[in-house]
This record gives sequence, structure tokens and C-alpha cells, in this order.
Amino acid sequence: MRAYLSYFKLKFISGLQYRQAAYAGIATQFFFGFVYIMIYVAFYQTGGKNLPMELPQLITYVWLNQAFFALICQFYKDSELFTLIKTGNISYEFSRPKSIYFLWYFKILGQRLANVFLRFLPLFIVTILLPKPYNFGMPTSPLAFLIFLVSMIIGTLLITALTVFYPIITLVTLNEKGITNILIVIADLFSGIGIPLVFFPKLLLKVSSVLPFQYISDLPFRIYVGNIPVSACIKPMIIQFVWLILLVLIGQLLLRIIIKRVEVQGG
Amino acid sequence: MKLYFKALGLHLKAELEYRMSFIFSFFSQVLVFFSYYFVILAMFTRFDNIKGFTMYEVLLCFSIIQFGFAFNEVFARGIDKFDDLIIQGNFDRLLLRPKNILLQVLCSNSDFIKVSRLIQALIVMIIALINLHIKITLIKFITLVLMLISSIAIFFSIFVLAASYCFITVQGLEVRNVFTDGGKQMAQYPIGVFNKGFLYFFTFIIPYGFVNYYPLLYFIGKKSNILYAFSPLIVLIYLIPCILIFNLGVKKYSSTGS
Repeated sequence: MRAYLSYFKLKFISGLQYRQAAYAGIATQFFFGFVYIMIYVAFYQTGGKNLPMELPQLITYVWLNQAFFALICQFYKDSELFTLIKTGNISYEFSRPKSIYFLWYFKILGQRLANVFLRFLPLFIVTILLPKPYNFGMPTSPLAFLIFLVSMIIGTLLITALTVFYPIITLVTLNEKGITNILIVIADLFSGIGIPLVFFPKLLLKVSSVLPFQYISDLPFRIYVGNIPVSACIKPMIIQFVWLILLVLIGQLLLRIIIKRVEVQGG
Repeated sequence: MKLYFKALGLHLKAELEYRMSFIFSFFSQVLVFFSYYFVILAMFTRFDNIKGFTMYEVLLCFSIIQFGFAFNEVFARGIDKFDDLIIQGNFDRLLLRPKNILLQVLCSNSDFIKVSRLIQALIVMIIALINLHIKITLIKFITLVLMLISSIAIFFSIFVLAASYCFITVQGLEVRNVFTDGGKQMAQYPIGVFNKGFLYFFTFIIPYGFVNYYPLLYFIGKKSNILYAFSPLIVLIYLIPCILIFNLGVKKYSSTGS
């Protein structure tokens, strides 16, 4: 366990060095947040039928999305990991007496947490102070906030478990684009980053209910804004936890099968 | 110009060498693009219009801005990736050759996979046009062509501006993404639906408004003043100072060494 934690710490601390990129990221997230919100405000002013979310809830949801973007978006840039695979240096990793799966898992977790750590606080501080209707809203109750935190932690572990699949697939395809990119687009769409899932047409909602992606961020965010009442969040959270266990197990199994037949590139 | 097309051909050949990867990437780009207009479609299942603009009017607006962006990614990728040229010192090589610098920069890179976005943008545009039932007069046709051209021009000028900035800082300008990706995201909708401050900024500082808002108003018959029809020309004028600044940067350039 200590080895994994030190991997985590290594990535976390080195991730914190990239402050310039973080400033640019914050600016981008602000801009996108405003654009989304202004569009929603314009839509709501025009008026619509059976809307699944109230406007303040939706706006808070957008800011949550923007603040945690570096954590919850599928796209994960770690050229180090992919270069290891492409150059064949990955064989060194194979020779370590630890589970590669968890080495990668904690690397990715550390990197993602570092990225979001640099970004989310300034966003929250400013958006809470914004005038209505653009402001970031408070949670509906302390209990809802607590459940949100728990669900958010499971969601973070879940997105990490999903991200590990990308290098695993790259082990076979030797190209971090292609298939991986297709998965990323689908996962992003169904995790509610473009538009909250409740706005989806019925058919797609059904599809999304059998996929793990809505449990990354859509569930915790909807708990926070009060779109899912506290009394109704036990069941989805159990499903969320089951997905986490399932994906970690599948990931380990897949990696084990692939490593058996992997051919190291060059040497 | 012949030189440029030759370079394009080479990039295309290079990409086609990895055939499977090309096909998968092409397909994934189709999906990416789909996820863009899916958001618009999903919103319009709940709402009839956004401040008076119907779904097909928004889709027309969307397709024009996406067309210009995709066009730049395919044909002017080199200027987008200009910071790589500077950082790696490869820009010095270009300076030695007796050809136009900007042209050479354009030759240096290309992303053919984005052709998929270009095609899809045109398809969305045609679908929108068919469903809008607009009687297309000669002036309206010219307006549409001007909108497409100015959409290419605006992204190109922002890329050139950002590239000029590289001469000073020797690194990519990450905030640039706010004005390209962010601008693209915003200009998917008619800019009139945004706040006044936004509208003014993107009319007078970075003229997105003249690409697909003011001319759109004329095109869909919301305004009849002929000035609206030809307003995309302003974007073309905007291009001139951007290129001048770039040329100034080339003159002041001192190498990073390598």
C-alpha cells in the first residue's frame, strides 16, 4: 500500500507544479460556464414545457461541472504513461513486484486530483459572489451536502477506474487515439458534461441508465443541487458503488489477460 | 500556392499510412461533432425557441461557425501549432527559404481527420436551409457565401494573432483557447441571445457577431437593411492588421536556439 501511496503523492505533487496551465484552465472554465449559463437563461426566459430542472439548480450544476472539469472529463493527458507503452519501456513496469493496475490507478488519481485542486477553489469563490442568476447556489441542506461529498468521492474513484482502461486498451492498439477517442466521446456525452442527463430524450435516458457514466458526476451534482431528494439517493448510490467495484475488477482482469500476450515494442 | 497543395498532399499521404488509426479517428470525429449538435437538439425538445430563434436558425448559425473552425484545422493547422515551431527552433529553417513565411507555416502541418467535421457542418447547414424555407435571392446567396468565408477568416486571424504572441513569449498562449474554442462554443448560438456586454465584446473586439449574427438576421428575414447582408466583409478587414502584426513579429524574431 505504501508503494501505491508514494506513486500517488509523486503525481499529485508534480501535478501541482503546472500552475500556468491551471490559470488558463480556470479562465476557460469561467468563459464556458458563462456561455452555458447565458444560453440556459435565454432558453428559460423564453419558456418551455415540463422542464426537468429549475434554473438556479441548473446554473449551480453548470458551475459544479466547470469547477470539477479537470477531474471528471474523460480526456486524460499523460504522455508519460502512453510513451512508456509505445517505446516499450513499459517492460520495466512489468518487472516490478507490485500490481501494475494499482500503480496506474494511483498515478492517475494523483494527477487528476492535482489538476482539480489547482482549479476548483478560485471558481467556487468567485461564482458564489456573482449576482443572480449567475451565482453558484448553496446545497439544499447540510445532510445533502454530506451525501454529495460521499457520492463525489465514489465518483472520483469511478472516473479513475474508467481512465485506467485507456492505457490498458493502448497496450493492445499501441495508439492512444482511435478507439480510445471514440470511448471518450461516448463517455463524456453520457456523463452529463455537455448537458445534464435529465435533458436527454427518453430513449437515451434508458441507454444511459445501464451505463456507468452518469455515476461519475451527474449523480453527485444532482444530489447537491437538490434535483434528487435526500430520501431517494440511497439506491443510485449503491449502484454507483457496485459500478466502482465492477470496473476495478474488470480492469484488473483485462490487464492480466493482455499482459500475458503483450509483445514489447523494441528494446 | 502549388507548393501549399503539394505539402497538403504529403500530409494526407502520411496520415493514410496508418489506415486503421485514420478510420477510427475519422469515426470518432464524427461522434464528437454529433455530440455538439446533439446538445442543441436536446434543448429544442424542451423549448420551442431561444429568444425568437428557432432550432433550424440556430443550427444554421452553428454550422457556419463549425465550418470555419474545421476548415482552419484542416488547412491551417500549422498556424494553430505555431508554438511547436518556435519552441523546437524549426522556425529558423523556414526563414532560410525564399518563400512567404506564412505560407510555409501553413505547409508545416495539417489535420485531415477534421475533414469529417467539415463535411458534417455542411450537411447540418443543408438540413437547416431546407427546413427554413427561405427564398434565396442573389443577395442572400452572397450573404451565405460571405458568412462561410468570414467564418474561416475569423479563426484564421485569431490563430495568427496568437502565433504573433509566441514571438514574444516563446510559448503557446493557452488563454487563446478561450477565444477560439470558447468563441466557437458561444457563436454556435446567435450572439444576440447573450448579454449586452458579451454582444459588444464579440462585435467590436473580436468580431464574431459579423460572422454569423448580423448577416444571419438579414438571411432569415429579421432585418432588411442591406448593410447587414454585407457585414461579414468587416471580418475580412480584421484579417489585415492581424497579418501585419505577424509580419512585424517575424522581423523582431530572435531564435530560441536548439
